[in-house]
Amino acid sequence: MMKIDRTITLLKQGKHITEEAVYSLCLKAQELLMTEANVTHVDTPVTICGDIHGQLHDLLTLFGKSGGVEKTRYIFLGDFVDRGFYSLESFLLLICYKLKYPDRITLIRGNHETRQITKVYGFYDEIMRKYGNSNVWRYCCEVFDYLSLGAIINNNIFCVHGGLSPDVSTIDEIRAIDRKQEVPHEGAMCDLLWSDPDDVEKWSLSPRGAGFVFGQNEVNQFLHTNNVELIARAHQLVMEGYKEMFDGGLVTVWSAPNYCYRCGNVAAVLRIEDDLQRNYTIFDAVQPQDGVGNAIIPTKKSQMDYFL
Amino acid sequence: MTTLQKDEDGTFSNTEPKRVKVYILENNEWKDTGTGFCTGEVSTVTTLPLNIDSDNDTEQKSAFLMVSNEEFPANILLKSKLEGNIEYQRQEETLIVWKDLEGHDIALSFEESLGCDRLCDFIVQVQRHIAKNISLVAVRSGDEGVGSIHEIITAPVSLPGTQSEQNTETLYDSLKILNENTAYQFLKTETVEFVLQSDYIKILINCFDIAEENRALKDLFLLSNIIKTLILYNQRDILEYMVDDDHIMGVIGILEYDTEFPNVKSNHREYLKKGAPTFKEILPLENQDLKLVVKKCFRLQFLKDVVLVRFLDDHNFNLFMDIILDLQTCIIDFLEVDPFLENILKLYDLRKEEEKEFTDLEEKRNDGIKLLHQCVQMSKNLEERDKTKFYKALVRMGLFNVLSYAFYVVTDPNIRILATETIITIIEHDILLIRNVASKNSKLYSRRKSPLPGSQTSEDGLKNLTPMSDEMKLLKILSKILLTDKNPGLREQIVQALNTLLHPEGCFNNLDGDFDGMGSGSMLNDFNYRLNSERENNFDSATSLNNEYTNEGDMNSSLDSLDNDQEFQLQEYFNDFYKLIAPILFAPLIEKNGSTNEAHDEKGQYDDFLLIQLVKLISFISTEHTRITSRKFILESDVLKQVCRLIKPGHILQLRLTAVRCIKNIICLDDKYYHRYLMTNNLYDNIFVLMEENKKKDNLTNSCIQDFFKIVSSKCIASNMDKSSIEELRQQTGITVSKKNNFSMLNKYLVNRFGDKFAELLDIPSVGVMVSLCEAEKMETAKKSKTLTDHILSKVDTIIEEEEDIPMAVSHASPIDHNETSEIRKRLRGDIDLIDSTTTHEAGINLQDELPSKRQN
Repeated sequence: MMKIDRTITLLKQGKHITEEAVYSLCLKAQELLMTEANVTHVDTPVTICGDIHGQLHDLLTLFGKSGGVEKTRYIFLGDFVDRGFYSLESFLLLICYKLKYPDRITLIRGNHETRQITKVYGFYDEIMRKYGNSNVWRYCCEVFDYLSLGAIINNNIFCVHGGLSPDVSTIDEIRAIDRKQEVPHEGAMCDLLWSDPDDVEKWSLSPRGAGFVFGQNEVNQFLHTNNVELIARAHQLVMEGYKEMFDGGLVTVWSAPNYCYRCGNVAAVLRIEDDLQRNYTIFDAVQPQDGVGNAIIPTKKSQMDYFL
Repeated sequence: MTTLQKDEDGTFSNTEPKRVKVYILENNEWKDTGTGFCTGEVSTVTTLPLNIDSDNDTEQKSAFLMVSNEEFPANILLKSKLEGNIEYQRQEETLIVWKDLEGHDIALSFEESLGCDRLCDFIVQVQRHIAKNISLVAVRSGDEGVGSIHEIITAPVSLPGTQSEQNTETLYDSLKILNENTAYQFLKTETVEFVLQSDYIKILINCFDIAEENRALKDLFLLSNIIKTLILYNQRDILEYMVDDDHIMGVIGILEYDTEFPNVKSNHREYLKKGAPTFKEILPLENQDLKLVVKKCFRLQFLKDVVLVRFLDDHNFNLFMDIILDLQTCIIDFLEVDPFLENILKLYDLRKEEEKEFTDLEEKRNDGIKLLHQCVQMSKNLEERDKTKFYKALVRMGLFNVLSYAFYVVTDPNIRILATETIITIIEHDILLIRNVASKNSKLYSRRKSPLPGSQTSEDGLKNLTPMSDEMKLLKILSKILLTDKNPGLREQIVQALNTLLHPEGCFNNLDGDFDGMGSGSMLNDFNYRLNSERENNFDSATSLNNEYTNEGDMNSSLDSLDNDQEFQLQEYFNDFYKLIAPILFAPLIEKNGSTNEAHDEKGQYDDFLLIQLVKLISFISTEHTRITSRKFILESDVLKQVCRLIKPGHILQLRLTAVRCIKNIICLDDKYYHRYLMTNNLYDNIFVLMEENKKKDNLTNSCIQDFFKIVSSKCIASNMDKSSIEELRQQTGITVSKKNNFSMLNKYLVNRFGDKFAELLDIPSVGVMVSLCEAEKMETAKKSKTLTDHILSKVDTIIEEEEDIPMAVSHASPIDHNETSEIRKRLRGDIDLIDSTTTHEAGINLQDELPSKRQN
């Protein structure tokens, strides 16, 4: 536990974590995540957070503005990595918190938590830059495979990264998925991580090339069948931080302010109270910090000689 | 006044006459003033009657647009001087319009656009050399006729000051000018030209040194913005200019100041000087040009990844990537031909150990592996052809020496990881590359040792058995490392390398690619030399076993498209693998002769994480390799028994679940031999032990096993549906299509063997389905028993044939297995139960268990 505290301190400062330390963290995370269900049960009050995308400093703000993991329960809806400069630190910090406070933080898999996507959208390159080889990337990807696919709050709010799937009508059906695998290109597991809501009449093809687009009918059907009142998901940038749709039956929560350091959006987290009341907290991107050097500008960490 | 016949500067001359109509605007209406020929003319007024030929430019040039009447050439329709700040507009293709200094609006309408072109060129030249303040703008109507597009063709360009001493004001002006000049391509091009010609960056760096000395913050920020603006020009020449030896430190210094973060300064310079990666030369790199390219490449990456990482937009970023790629291609091209790399690779030639006089040989060798790793990482972005060329060069220079050094001598896992990553990159690009060159390397050897096929004696053949082909050597090295090295990162990489090397499709990716001189033809010859000899030697052991499966129709269809040679070659490659490598690689999963079924002796020796990788590899070979080949190995060496034993308590959960997944993958193959083997040996028992532990929990294990039930139940339903359509076909046409029914068998087996356990699991939907399917089948079988019996009797001949086709595991297994077999058969028969005729005893089983046939479409 001491070790985890030390790692957390280093991570918050964006400092280098040794390959060995990452490996042992990842192993512990595997063991812990294996004990969790595909759809984890979570109690209120709880704070739901959307995409993080490697924006470590904004993640720290998120914790600061919403009470902190010592006092608050959290659900993260996935997409911890890619795009931002601190994918590794962000993901490891969440893993450390998970290990330290297993009941207070639930991590759900996003469509970026896969080998294929991280190779293209930055996480892999970040690891190559920081470590000079891909081992740490492999360790993390192995943990991705163990992440839950969803969560359910008080049997009333269904949380998932992307959205619904035509192959899943009851939440119980998700239990029969062996989730420990690279996200497939089709099927229930894929759809949960990739689908988007929109004003459509019926299940429609998604322009993303994976998952589906679903509309009010599908949402109402799902809410009714499963006797829940809200689907909370992330996956799509919302300039205002959150967006409710379908008479409040679905909400998109986005938690990466000034996405990609240039989108100019604000971020939000959604707190669900014991009476299921929804409270949104909006926050901005971190301003450059003085004193400890500019924490926002990434620096080359490892000092590798070059021969070419 | 003299009309010049020839331009002294050699830049332009009077133009050929072009036919035009001249219009003048009067009272808001264009008035046609006649048709004639237009020329551009330059005249020189000599202000001092001195030597005209002298270079001291005392004459004053003027330029005119002249139009003379086409019928009366002496009649000048127009003579308009190009002067002041007149803006000429070229409208569409054939019009030039302007307002002269007296305020007349004039228009020339050319007969053809060529004429207009020529006169526009003239105006451009005049702007450059005589009347610098005039401009020419092209005006076209916008898309779909809406609005108009203005594009400067020539104009006076304001440029930043080049004086060596600058102050806040001049810097501010410069920034403003540079910003404004981005608005038009023409201005931009002119500015870029200026920046390069006047060494403008150097001027800025000098200003920066002074400003930093004086702590003139405002100036520093202005300079930083000027550099950034120049980067936004997105010009390769400027970027390359910035990163050469003379400018890089200055530029990076300027960029340490950033108006976005006014209270802090980065320390890029300090980093580059002290902490930064240094350019290490293992052996001196003689070529200075290349050295510069290498440095530029690194610096551009440093700018891209660190200094400018927040600043670059996609456009800039792509340019950086393009330049870097270009420089990398240049580096790689060079390395292919220069002795530099070859000399480094010679460091690993262990035969010439004494010749190497370096005291730091070990360090040099380790660094060399890092260098190779970098080369190969760099090459990843190249075009496929270039990659092939480069990797081939590497192999030719002795890449294998480096790899054997890395795997046999080096103990530092980090170096080994780099070596593995290198090899993965190469084989992922093209596995044949290694195999090609490998066989070429062994060519001499095999030519010497191996006589022509057919003429060899058994003694020669024996000699040929001993040497292993390089590709098998590589597989063996990798297997041994996997079994012995405990570094988790290295293990993962080795497994990836093995996956690539053992992937049947990967083997023929680039077969038709460019192999200059080492074409697939010659390679095949090499193969055949070696393989023929081995084949004959193994005739006894191999053929008899292979024949067991010659009736097998369920071959891996991914190979269908390959021609015979390729298929043969591939088959031999995998035969070698299963004969020489698989027993080593999978040793931890293979029971030793004479040892009991207890796995405990082996537990300690191999850790669970290794076993996870091996079980995954079993999964991989069973699904990806030609079925008969992989199945023969898997069943004969009883690997699955060990795999299922790993599901027992005592192993880490990750491994237990990996083993369950392996079994799931194998049953999904819908292969009767596997199905029979798993049931005969009661290999599902441990899955139910695991389920028992987790039945009340909602966790990954529970889900993993639910998935297993789902597979059985849904496949069972699917095959039952097939069955009814087959029955329909039989009734209609009398043709019986044999249809495998592995899942019904499995379902029945599971429900009967684990019925009591299932009773507690009925809340799982697929378990309910499994139980009711089993019930339904029993009833159906009862109904049909009569017709079945008739049918069976009519098919006795076929059945006898089929009986010879029992897989290895059953026919060649130990007597104990035989007993088990008959026991399970009895049990199964008990299920079917209603067929009472003794003659159909065996037949009953075979009907349930018909030959696998090609999947029905």
